[in-house]
Amino acid sequence: MRYVKWAFWIVLITVVGGFMHYTMPQQDIVRVVNTEVRRVDVNENSIFWAQTDVGNDPTTVNRDVRFIETIRPNGKPIVYRNEDTGWGWPPYFKLDSSNLQAEASDLISSRDTPRWVVMRHYGWRNEFLSIFPNAVGVRVVAGPEVRLIPWLNIVILVALSLLILVIRQMWLQFRERSIDPMVEDAGDAWDKVEAFGERKKGRVQRWLDSWKKK
Amino acid sequence: MVFAIARLGLMGFVVLSVIYVLVSIYSRSVRRERLEKRWEAEGIGGDREEFIRDGLAEYDSSVRRKLILGVYVVPVIVIGTLIYAINFW
Repeated sequence: MRYVKWAFWIVLITVVGGFMHYTMPQQDIVRVVNTEVRRVDVNENSIFWAQTDVGNDPTTVNRDVRFIETIRPNGKPIVYRNEDTGWGWPPYFKLDSSNLQAEASDLISSRDTPRWVVMRHYGWRNEFLSIFPNAVGVRVVAGPEVRLIPWLNIVILVALSLLILVIRQMWLQFRERSIDPMVEDAGDAWDKVEAFGERKKGRVQRWLDSWKKK
Repeated sequence: MVFAIARLGLMGFVVLSVIYVLVSIYSRSVRRERLEKRWEAEGIGGDREEFIRDGLAEYDSSVRRKLILGVYVVPVIVIGTLIYAINFW
């Protein structure tokens, strides 16, 4: 039973943590080397892709997706997709993919004269699933060793914690005021049933006893 | 696009309405509990039920109760701010 409990909590934490890690904004310091548009036919990885630009037909099977190709300070590549999230999930309400693509193109720099930028994004890069993080915003920074404080994440996590505390408080209040009295009532009712049963049993028992030899 | 916004608005309205009702019940329950405790602690004479009924009637017409409407207002402001910050800032 203890292992079942552990397994439950491990699965829950993994799922919730993974979901949060995918959805929450993250910031990378990178150097943009290219921007391009590729046609993609999403298939079983479709939940890791957004939809076409908000004004367009969302039902088409395949479409062109903008990509931003970048190099990290350690020399390794990271490629972002650049899609509208529109009015769906995750709630970034990103509608300006084209503009972001223009900004990113404007920031292209070479290895010899690097121009470092912070790419705000959500999502994961996974080669096996062919999925890419979705770029949300870009801004120029002084260099690759700038210290970034994730204010947005702090605000979101604090708000979520407060929300959980409020829900807990509401549940406790509901239990104290509505469930406990009901359980007490039920307990009282059960006591009555038992007392009634005792009396009944007494009567039946007495009747049975009356057959016994004295 | 209109469809997507309408869907978001409709679902948001339904979810927020559920939250609004739950928060209203919670707030009223807290207020009632506080009135009950005050009646006992301060030894206010008279009918207990009447005291609580008056207190809740006062609460029903208070500004505090209307603040719960913020459940609808705050998300709209947050979404508006997000749209501006993400796309036009």
